[in-house]
Amino acid sequence: MNEQAGLAVEMRGITKQFPGVLANNEVDFSVRRGEIHALVGENGAGKSTLMNILYGLVHPDSGEILINGKTVQIAGPRDAIGLGIGMVHQHFMLIPVFSVGENIMLGREPATGPDFYDRARARKAIAELTKRYGLALDPDARMGDLPVGLQQRAEIVKVLYRGADILILDEPTGVLTPQESKDLFAVLRDLVKGGKTIIFISHKLKEVLEISDRITVMRRGKVVGHLITKDTNEEEIATLMVGRAVLLRVDKSPAKPGGVALAVENLTANSDQSVPALKGASFELRYGEILGIAGVEGNGQSELMEVLAGTRRATGGQVLLAGRDITTMDANTERDAGVAFIPEDRRGTGLVLSFSIAENSILGRERTPTFSWRHFVLNLIAIRNWALKLVKEFDIRTPSIEVAVRNLSGGNQQKVIVAREIGTNPKVLLAAQPTRGVDIGAIEFIHRQIVRERDNGAAVLLVSAELDEVRSLSDRVAVMYEGRIVSIEPPDTPEERLGLLMTGGGSSPSMGRRPAGPEGLEA
Amino acid sequence: MVRRLTTGLAMPLGSVLLAFVLGGLIVAATGGNPFSAYAALVCGGFGIGCAGGENPGLQISNTIVFVIPLITAGIAVALPFRAGLFNIGAEGQLLAGSIACTAIGIKFSSLPSPILLPMVLVGGMVGGALWAGVAGVLKATIGAHEVVTTIMMNYIAQWFLRYLIVGGPLQLAPGTSKSSPIGAGARLATLLPNDNSLIILGLPSSVFRVHTGLLIALAAAAGFAFLLWRTSLGYEIRAVGQSQKAARYAGISVRRTIIVTMLIAGGFAGLAGAIEIAGVDHNLTDKYFSDTTGFDAIAVALLGLGSAVGIVLAAILFGALHAGGSVMQADAGISGNLVFILQALILFSIAANFVGAIRQRIPGLGRPTALPPDLPPAAPMMTEAAAPPTEA
Repeated sequence: MNEQAGLAVEMRGITKQFPGVLANNEVDFSVRRGEIHALVGENGAGKSTLMNILYGLVHPDSGEILINGKTVQIAGPRDAIGLGIGMVHQHFMLIPVFSVGENIMLGREPATGPDFYDRARARKAIAELTKRYGLALDPDARMGDLPVGLQQRAEIVKVLYRGADILILDEPTGVLTPQESKDLFAVLRDLVKGGKTIIFISHKLKEVLEISDRITVMRRGKVVGHLITKDTNEEEIATLMVGRAVLLRVDKSPAKPGGVALAVENLTANSDQSVPALKGASFELRYGEILGIAGVEGNGQSELMEVLAGTRRATGGQVLLAGRDITTMDANTERDAGVAFIPEDRRGTGLVLSFSIAENSILGRERTPTFSWRHFVLNLIAIRNWALKLVKEFDIRTPSIEVAVRNLSGGNQQKVIVAREIGTNPKVLLAAQPTRGVDIGAIEFIHRQIVRERDNGAAVLLVSAELDEVRSLSDRVAVMYEGRIVSIEPPDTPEERLGLLMTGGGSSPSMGRRPAGPEGLEA
Repeated sequence: MVRRLTTGLAMPLGSVLLAFVLGGLIVAATGGNPFSAYAALVCGGFGIGCAGGENPGLQISNTIVFVIPLITAGIAVALPFRAGLFNIGAEGQLLAGSIACTAIGIKFSSLPSPILLPMVLVGGMVGGALWAGVAGVLKATIGAHEVVTTIMMNYIAQWFLRYLIVGGPLQLAPGTSKSSPIGAGARLATLLPNDNSLIILGLPSSVFRVHTGLLIALAAAAGFAFLLWRTSLGYEIRAVGQSQKAARYAGISVRRTIIVTMLIAGGFAGLAGAIEIAGVDHNLTDKYFSDTTGFDAIAVALLGLGSAVGIVLAAILFGALHAGGSVMQADAGISGNLVFILQALILFSIAANFVGAIRQRIPGLGRPTALPPDLPPAAPMMTEAAAPPTEA
């Protein structure tokens, strides 16, 4: 047992069968005390299942778990918390209208009397924690007013407050800006220095290489590799994850830009909260080029895309499509005019999850002559043939086109949207976060499709929270800040300069305009 | 495929079974014999195994008369369900249809059947459609919840009907609470010849009230299925029901779809009301004060899982319960009100998904048929509503 003395977590022979899926197959997983251990794998590889088992949310069919060398039974999260295991979920479990302090104390409120939240004691306890780990947080701030990075920090403090020594972070950087990710990593390093052990679930290889000490790679329910971070590289991890060599860089020839496809002039629009989000964006998009929009999320990119796609009303300005005014067109008319839109929220707005692949493949086109007779009776044969063609051309992995898209992996769901939108040979392709939450194999494929569209002469407007994606895919990069395009840069502009422009700093020679005053981030 | 079918049927069949077991216990607890009660119910509903000298054919005929409006009214609830709307107002829409049908049938009573019959049926549909359309327009424009508005519209229809035939313009004569009958041309023919000399199953054929409205109801069910699965509109209705956001992003007008759905649903309910007048009663009577067809339709739509075939089957069950109640009272001495308790128990057990809960508790039966609901929309504070973990 000496050998196990240094292990914080040891899981042996974990097997979990879900209906139709062997989620974990004889998985051995161990984490040393005081290390940052990355658990990587594509969607559906079994990472979350394994961590849910460790946290007591899922019960394994077989296998044993040792914490600090002792065999334990974890019947539920309560047991896990008792053993010093804490989990920070990908989707925060926070109550927006409560204060930071209340959220952190939730379930363990220090009370001087029954049902009484002792603000002073809570504040003191939080102050201690935040001081020890350098996690600056205002306990009285309203949670919903904080940026995502600080909300996540509150989640971490919450877990620490419950006495966690082993922290599981599930895709923690998925919602963070590059700067917030950097801050998070600093926090994680401090936590490890303070004696904590961290399990870091991710599929972003750069991050994994940057932050972790050791790496466990999973594929299809099995562990396929134990790696030491300093002895490995992105290609090796990616190959293990996908099971074949993958191309991490986008392979594309120089753009041959044509005429102006979209001319956007001084466009303004409100956010869902009816506050100005787009404050006079101007740019031109040409046929045969990919224009990437870089920016910290929430600076008007989503609104810009929605206005261009016709799903949000502009409050001012003009959009010309090949000279024709399309500013006030609705989504249907725009689609007919040749504008395709890949919306950023795949499951919320891109797909009807309970619909089959075939049904989703005509979403919005159910009244076109191709798929209906007299805009009324669906042409089921045409729909079927269309769906089969898309499934084949876009390599959508599914047993049949009648499968509900809910049951597809994230990557295949995204391929259904990409196929639907690209499949009609649009003149303009609006791609918002086209690869968010999608696994490496599918990212590679979707990137190739977008580049192919460009090479076929389409004008592509790309919005992505991943700066790497914007830089590697775009022919020009437009930096967006506070609802305006503040600069247009070549894609090989150093990351530091783009980062500076994205946060309102730096000069913007190409536009000769400085961003608006220091209003700070909009909530 | 077979497996999917069986798991799909487990919920409604199990709910019915559970309701009958509980109903049997209630009968036993009140000193009755559940077996003779149910035997009488089966006789009354389906004409099978009758011990009290009932005519099987007549019982089946009576059941069908009850089934007809339940099918069309059931569709009036099921269609909005598909669009994510809960139409509690089928009753009010049905009454609106009955009123329109009666008014037209009286006003134009001299017209010949080929003209007048379509007029009263279409008139009933228009009446129901307008009644439901009010709720649809309010929902689509100012967001008024359709549950509240349709319930209120039920009251308005009920009291308006009362006004019309008690002192109002349609009252037959002072002191009565009924309207004058609709013209002969406005009536639906019975399926069997109305001929006292023709003896069928030992009874003159004129006593069998089953009427041609049955064909209309079955056609309505087929039309409903076609609309839902084979048309662009049906596609849009389902898309709006499953994800308003995705529908909106795809360019489907959610408002228009809601209004159109309610209009069509009201049309089906109004058709049920028109068929009742044209096929059975031929005038408005105080029977309509306590009519519950539109409410039973909610149970029919739920039990039928919102599908055309399911609605027809559920309507047959509920029609048989109605028809069987009186026989049960006569033969087994069990209060006919047990039928209403059974209906309530069926609905209750669907609503509470007891069957799913039982299946979950008993190992070996597998997981419940109803998939766990999709993760609720993430907390509004979250900037990203991306995929919940797809693993597992």
